[in-house]
Amino acid sequence: MTPARAGFRTMTLVTLLEHRPSRQAANISLVFAVLAAVGLFLFPYATVGRGFGGASTLLLFPGRTLDLTGFPPQVLPAFGPTLAFGWAALAALAATAVAAVTRARWLWLAGLVTLALGVLAAVTFETATAAVVRDLVAGGTPLRRIPQANGAANLGIFTVMLAGLVTTLAGISGFPAWYARLNRLRAALVPLVAIALAVVIGAVVVLVIQPVPSSTPAVGAAAWYGKIDLVWFVYTTLFAPLADLGDFFQALTLATPLIFAGLAVAFAFRAGLFNIGAPGQIAAGAILAMLVGVYLPVPGVLHAVLTVIAAALGGALWGAIPGFLKARFGSSEVINTIMLNYIASAIFIFLISSNTFPVFGRTFNLPFKPQGVNEAVSQELRPDARLAQIPQLLGLQAGQPGFVPLAPLAALVVFAAVYAFLARNRRRLLIALGAAVLTLPLTWTWLGVRVNTSFNLAGSTLNLAFLIALAAVVFFAVFLWRTSGGYALRAVGLSPKAAEYGGINVARSTVLAMTIAGAFAGLASTHYLMGGALAGQYRLTQNLPYQNVGFDGITVALMGQSTPAGVVAAAVLFGTIDTGGLYVDQQLDAINKDIVTVLKALIVLFIAAGGFLPKRITNPPPAVLLPNLARSSAENRETLGNKAENTSAQAGEGPPATEANDPRNDGRDA
Amino acid sequence: MDFLQNLFTLAFLATLIRSTAPLLLAALGGLYSERSGIVNIALEGIIIFGALAGAVITERVEGSLGALAPWIGWLGGAAVGGLVAWIHGVISIKYRADQIISGTAVNLLALGVPPVLLGALYNSATDSKRVENALPLWGFGDVLRFSPPVFFAFLMVAVTWYVLYRTPYGLRIRATGEHPQASASMGVNVRRVRYGAVVISGLLAGTAGVFLSIGNLDAFTRNISAGQGFIALAALIFGQWRPLGVLGATLLFGFLRALSIQLGGAQVLPPSLVEALPYLITILALVFTGRAAAPRAVGKPFDG
Repeated sequence: MTPARAGFRTMTLVTLLEHRPSRQAANISLVFAVLAAVGLFLFPYATVGRGFGGASTLLLFPGRTLDLTGFPPQVLPAFGPTLAFGWAALAALAATAVAAVTRARWLWLAGLVTLALGVLAAVTFETATAAVVRDLVAGGTPLRRIPQANGAANLGIFTVMLAGLVTTLAGISGFPAWYARLNRLRAALVPLVAIALAVVIGAVVVLVIQPVPSSTPAVGAAAWYGKIDLVWFVYTTLFAPLADLGDFFQALTLATPLIFAGLAVAFAFRAGLFNIGAPGQIAAGAILAMLVGVYLPVPGVLHAVLTVIAAALGGALWGAIPGFLKARFGSSEVINTIMLNYIASAIFIFLISSNTFPVFGRTFNLPFKPQGVNEAVSQELRPDARLAQIPQLLGLQAGQPGFVPLAPLAALVVFAAVYAFLARNRRRLLIALGAAVLTLPLTWTWLGVRVNTSFNLAGSTLNLAFLIALAAVVFFAVFLWRTSGGYALRAVGLSPKAAEYGGINVARSTVLAMTIAGAFAGLASTHYLMGGALAGQYRLTQNLPYQNVGFDGITVALMGQSTPAGVVAAAVLFGTIDTGGLYVDQQLDAINKDIVTVLKALIVLFIAAGGFLPKRITNPPPAVLLPNLARSSAENRETLGNKAENTSAQAGEGPPATEANDPRNDGRDA
Repeated sequence: MDFLQNLFTLAFLATLIRSTAPLLLAALGGLYSERSGIVNIALEGIIIFGALAGAVITERVEGSLGALAPWIGWLGGAAVGGLVAWIHGVISIKYRADQIISGTAVNLLALGVPPVLLGALYNSATDSKRVENALPLWGFGDVLRFSPPVFFAFLMVAVTWYVLYRTPYGLRIRATGEHPQASASMGVNVRRVRYGAVVISGLLAGTAGVFLSIGNLDAFTRNISAGQGFIALAALIFGQWRPLGVLGATLLFGFLRALSIQLGGAQVLPPSLVEALPYLITILALVFTGRAAAPRAVGKPFDG
């Protein structure tokens, strides 16, 4: 242990005993408060209206409007309350700054008030805008001709909310119980910082290649606000699918294979292996699923089940090969999985590109490609082997009123609540699962949203593979953290030598890890072949995106820090910005959807660099420090005092000084 | 056996040499990097960046420079390759990242940056504008004519051999790849040697890309590399991290590649399967050699 680390620990302890935010936490909230206060004036406060192409009419904070469209809206919403909340937020930010400088205990309160004021500003603005839009619609204007329909908060209000949130978290981190809770979320720090850095660089890229959408070339202050608004517009458009049910279904559709691929990479990560082979494993799964789904004459739902199993088996086989080669011959799984990607890809193309193939002048037949078709495709899966589309299961038809049940969401909430509540119960996983399953039928019929089904929603190809993906996530979590096989696997991942010394068969764990990882990836093919996610094609096609999906799996696993919830969150995030990227492509002329790929690559790059954060921030202090603090701070304060004396007394002798600060020694020393 | 007569012609030899050159350049680049201890699976991405930069720079300057433009494009493409490799170096040497993850990030960047840049410059997500002045073709006869990077590639085999085994710098590269602590104790600046080696690998892989875009074709297209960076990586392993071994491996893989191009019309073997042979050979090579021949410290960050 380095002296710097020991100093950090001591400082953390002292700070926690005082119940005051640490110097660093206070400084962070000070920076955000200043940024938000400056941002109120230098960033657009809200968007009054926006036309197609991104040109906007902006509200600036002290109350000025700035028009870039050339056609300023005739009717403006009432800005009064929104601006008043802005002034109040400015005062709250000043209070935050004072609290941060003095490290006051009420820092969290200042943060919470700031956050609330920011939210109120945004909500009042949206309400006022909605009133204007309603009046205009009532007056006979078609909705798409009303730029105010796109009115919303802009970066100015957003930075206020962000500063409020950060300050609240920084403030409560001074309390031991909350410190322990936040400490557990430390793993999310690197991905979050990586996303933030990628967003900043992405903004620079956007500004370099895309001129500000404006009727006349913007100059001076207008150019500045226009540029900030352009960046805001791009990012809000990327996240817009979260606000529309049809687009959100599309996001989940794109997220489904990413969940599988992310699990495949994450599972191998947990065993200390780098699985770059998800593309090949998806392709292998697809090939086997095609063979079973097209040619196996089995009746009914059994056919679909067997096809799913075949997809998993194909992937598992393709994953087991590098696992075996690693365990038996010690050859690098990184290289082997890359090589197997290309081999699988070659077989994939070979099977569907032609009906015949030559071998030294003789011609052999291949049955997979249907006769008389020009593109490279296989035969279609039998109807029995297909998976149902979720919009059809919900009875959603374009243009008709429909009902989307939120029961699964409710079940998830119940699960999380029960799981958290029974913190001390050993069977809490089972109990929580039971409660969640029970919630489903109880809430299915009444809890949900009534929608006027859009074409987007009804045509969504979100299918049952999404549920298979969620089941795979549960399997991932249960296997790794609730079975001895999973324990062995994680032990190998943390330290192969220690695991071997502990009696774990490292070779078997390696093969097992790669096999299961491959099975996860192979299942991704069910989404395409059985779910018809690719333009309703229930067959192998040349543009099956196994390459991109497989590589995105690496990004998803890294973003999700190889945790089940993280993988799902990262996959949904990527599904969302992939969907939003299409809208960016449509609305702006110089930027295309590949800006999303750049963002993903940057995120991986920055995660690789640990978010450029020092190790003492990314690595949490040992958990053993924390319960003690929560239990009795007074006792600790006393021991700490004694320790400090011990430390100076023993400094010359054998034991390292830092050990003395470790509460693990409490019992023995007292 | 008339298909054999069709196969082994001067045209086939030319195709063989043209398929080998980019693999050779990239694999030699990988050789510098990996012998110094930095895994470079970013070769594929660096090739793409080099190809993009070569085509775009040539197209931008040829209005004023004319026939000189492709040479500037070459320099620019190599420099961009070096720059991208340097980023990989910073992340994996300074920030001690997992070199595989860092290299993967570069490969992902190479998927995303070209369409964004091409969209901004040429309003197309896949192709750059054709250059009027591609690199010239040197050689004799009608068939055996190659652009300069091809000669450069084969020249670099000898240069690499000399640098690696006959100069102090080469000794330092090999030492930091085998045992960085020992070389640090002898006064070698391990990080500087590694930075140098990684940047050289970028210059060479960037040149491979330049050959693909303005040596072999006259524009950048999407998928221009089509996995050649990974074949180069395979050749590096099959060649046992040695310059002459790399030459042999790339000639073999180039031969298979030329075969699959030539087989497009012939009735010998399905070309898609022949294209996969290098990968299968590499897996077998790894089985028989294990990691015995790899630089011992490759992939491990240096903490000293």
